[in-house]
Amino acid sequence: MRYYPAQLTDDIGNLHPRKHQALAELAELGAQLETASPEQKPTLKARLATQERGLAQHPYTQKLEAFKRKAKTFETELKRKQAQWRQQSTHQDKRLAKLEAELKAAEQSAAFYEAYQELSYDAELAYLISQRKQVHLPAIIQQQLDLEKLLAEKEALKAQAEQQDKTKLQAEIAVYKKQRQETYQAKLSELKAKKREGQISSKALAAECKMAKLALKEDLALKELQDPVKGLEEQIRAIKHHLKRGIPEKYRVMEADISDLRRRTPVEVTRKSPRNFLWNFILPGLAQLANKQYIKALCFFLGSLFIAFAAIPYALGYGNYQGQGVAGLLSLAQGGRRVDRSIIFMIEGIIAIFLLILALAIYYFAIRDAYRVEKKQIQGIRPHNWFESKELLESRGFPYIVSSPALLVIIFIVLVPVVTTILLSFTNMDPKNQSKFAWAGLANYKVIALGQGVAGQAFWHILTWTVIWTLAATSLAILIGFILALLVNQDRIRGKKLWRTIYLLPWAVPAFITIMFFSVMLAPNGMLTELISGLAGQVVNVKNDTTLTRISLILLQGWLGSSYIFLLCTGILQSIPQDLYEAAEIDGAGAWKRVRHITIPLMLYQIAPLLVTQYTFNFNNYSIIALFNNGGPFVPSKYGNLAGSSDILISYIFKLTIENQYQALGAAITLIISLVLMFVSFLGFRKTKAFND
Amino acid sequence: MFFFKRKKSSDLYLSDKPPLTGLGKIMLALSYIVLTAWALAIIWPLSQMVLSSFNGNQGKAISMAGTYVFSWDNFRYLFEKTYFLSWVKNTIIIALASALLTLLIVSFTGYAYSRYRFSGRKASLMTIMLIQSIPTFAGITAYYTMHNIFSSVLPFFSRQALLVFIYAGGGIAANTLILKNYIDSVSTELDDAARIDGCSNMEIYRLIIMPIARPMLAIIGLWSFIGPFMDYMLPKILLTNPQSYTLATGLFTLINDVRTMNQPAFAAGGLLTAVPIIILFISLQGQLISGLAQGSVKG
Repeated sequence: MRYYPAQLTDDIGNLHPRKHQALAELAELGAQLETASPEQKPTLKARLATQERGLAQHPYTQKLEAFKRKAKTFETELKRKQAQWRQQSTHQDKRLAKLEAELKAAEQSAAFYEAYQELSYDAELAYLISQRKQVHLPAIIQQQLDLEKLLAEKEALKAQAEQQDKTKLQAEIAVYKKQRQETYQAKLSELKAKKREGQISSKALAAECKMAKLALKEDLALKELQDPVKGLEEQIRAIKHHLKRGIPEKYRVMEADISDLRRRTPVEVTRKSPRNFLWNFILPGLAQLANKQYIKALCFFLGSLFIAFAAIPYALGYGNYQGQGVAGLLSLAQGGRRVDRSIIFMIEGIIAIFLLILALAIYYFAIRDAYRVEKKQIQGIRPHNWFESKELLESRGFPYIVSSPALLVIIFIVLVPVVTTILLSFTNMDPKNQSKFAWAGLANYKVIALGQGVAGQAFWHILTWTVIWTLAATSLAILIGFILALLVNQDRIRGKKLWRTIYLLPWAVPAFITIMFFSVMLAPNGMLTELISGLAGQVVNVKNDTTLTRISLILLQGWLGSSYIFLLCTGILQSIPQDLYEAAEIDGAGAWKRVRHITIPLMLYQIAPLLVTQYTFNFNNYSIIALFNNGGPFVPSKYGNLAGSSDILISYIFKLTIENQYQALGAAITLIISLVLMFVSFLGFRKTKAFND
Repeated sequence: MFFFKRKKSSDLYLSDKPPLTGLGKIMLALSYIVLTAWALAIIWPLSQMVLSSFNGNQGKAISMAGTYVFSWDNFRYLFEKTYFLSWVKNTIIIALASALLTLLIVSFTGYAYSRYRFSGRKASLMTIMLIQSIPTFAGITAYYTMHNIFSSVLPFFSRQALLVFIYAGGGIAANTLILKNYIDSVSTELDDAARIDGCSNMEIYRLIIMPIARPMLAIIGLWSFIGPFMDYMLPKILLTNPQSYTLATGLFTLINDVRTMNQPAFAAGGLLTAVPIIILFISLQGQLISGLAQGSVKG
């Protein structure tokens, strides 16, 4: 903005004339300059420049400065007096003393500022606020006094009531209680009799009994209140609650009212473009201090503390467990001490980077906030006071505040490990380079793609089997579950609940137990092995045969996974409206046609996204591979020494990373399959409604 | 009573369904045969496990070859010779802690994502969701080292604690989505009414949303609780001392390690683990399914 705006805009959008005469003149000159002809421009510009230089000597500015000095001494004096009034107050209650002192201060400042209303908007606002306070504060004080008086009265009444002889009343209450209990019992036995005769169902009986009991409780409580002491106790509790919650609430209403005044009264500053926010480049919070937003400044200073004493030192390597902060990412402990481990250097480097990102975010928000506040101030909008900022934080900032713990957990549990894996895949961490490893570029990816070295051809064999496994096992489970659901949900099948309970079992029994048990039964000399051998007439050793192991794995997963699909399909089948089938039947559709054209499309539409997760689940189904045969049987000629012939990618990665310490290679494979999985999941999620509103 | 007698004696067709044709009868019979066959395929292995856990006439391996002798020996072995009780204790502590942590985090994020339109809302959820489709143990090398770093700063940060955080952190996105969908179905008029009555955001959450979302919170809590019971991989990698194992890793030592092998005791342990979970699943099947399906079906 090159010139001062001629009029001020408040937060609601209303326009106000300037009160600062010097600035008003400047604004007018600026406006003239805009429309002036080219010949006039130089003279006008020169005038503007002189005026601007002479801003401090302008009579209005002098007047304003004088007022400001006076106001300052007045305010300090007032503050001192206010503290004094608070101490001298006749009231025992601290809150009341504070309110009264505030009221007196408001009266004084109203008297002081009234004369200066035309001079500046600050004075006008101060006058309006003190007036508003004079409306609110007496009411609040009066309410507290009234409540206290009422409380004292009630307490006196209660003390009186406690003195009185209450034997008669208590006896009366006791009689009533006894009678009421009797009617209650009578009602119960009546209901039970009705149930015996079959007039009402057991559900109705339970509901009626509950109602009768509630009525009894209520009546007894009501009668108790006839005892004056009890009644008074209740009233006293209510009054105390009002005192505790009601008064602060009223005070908040006053503050909201004042905030409204602040929004309607503009502010004038002698600045044409934001300047203060530059302080925040040095230290977040300084600009807020310059804008007189003290508590906000304090919050940003806390952020600055984090930047100055946690993020930056950590990134530079101070306070690290072993590493060198960000620099450790480059050096990876090369040439360091014997105990230094590259992986620790790497992770500390990553943590340092995340801390730096947090620090940058604090910087960014502090600077943006200060810049916006100042920009608005130049337009005429007053900066928020703490009450207003707090309100804003509570409403707009709420989602960010409550999600921040989740963010922290995700950074450390998800993001840092994932970034570590990505970086590891570009290093040469293997059994020979455990403690110290170095950057190796794309070497690992080359090894995988070309089928060289440790990975050998195994990767491609395993990839093929993983794809077959995922498709076959998941599809089998889906097929079985779907057919079972169709069969059980036929009209004429009896014992639906029993079937459902049985079919739920493979899902309910923890999978690791079932897998381990099948593994035991299919071991040499296991029960199933003997059974199958008996049937086949020769010794069949499933676990030593690649094909048989693979078939057993697929069948076993079909057995395990069908339960869940069955239950899902059952739920959806029951929600398909029956009239669709009736209409189809009338139109002459047979049973197969009804399934083909109604059930399957409706079902697929609903469970398709879930089926995607089923496929990704089996892609990563480590437990079944590891627990059943630990990836075996081993065929070293084809798979090398690291993997077995039933290993899928995930168990291969496990063996590479954990058992054989080829972490870098494992990380590279992880990265490849993660990209594929992310793409597949993305296709699955994208369609769901959850992401589209 | 007269009416019933007459009905029995007559051939009157009372059902509102059309009478079965010959083909229909065959199909129905076939259906029953398939259903029974599958039921047997489920019950037979499970019953074998139950039977073997009570069979005292077995060696180190499960076998039904000898005569069946009912005994509690396997259970006795489990309790006296193995760390079964501490496995149970570890699993329950880890499961409870991760369920509580999940609920604590997710109940807030679910509310925020459902009720507030803030910038970065959709993108952040999608990003986290995608990042979480990377298998958990992708970061296992990092977890090891991070545990070293954290535990040097906070000595009480054990490997079990790390497990809890991995379980809870891994479920944040999916559970947030499930809870968000559930809260979305609650009318915002309730919130507005409460807001007019002077409730703050926190109070609306505590007094309005929480009570309504309680069923879904219970399901999320239940799933987070069951997860550690089912997981084998992470405890196997992270926990090294047999005494600190969870049930899955602990029971596996009974069938794969020659030194500690005792398959009948494994069957007994499996039975003891499975029964409470089966009861839980059967009694809550409706809710558990709806909780799972809600995430993506109703969306």
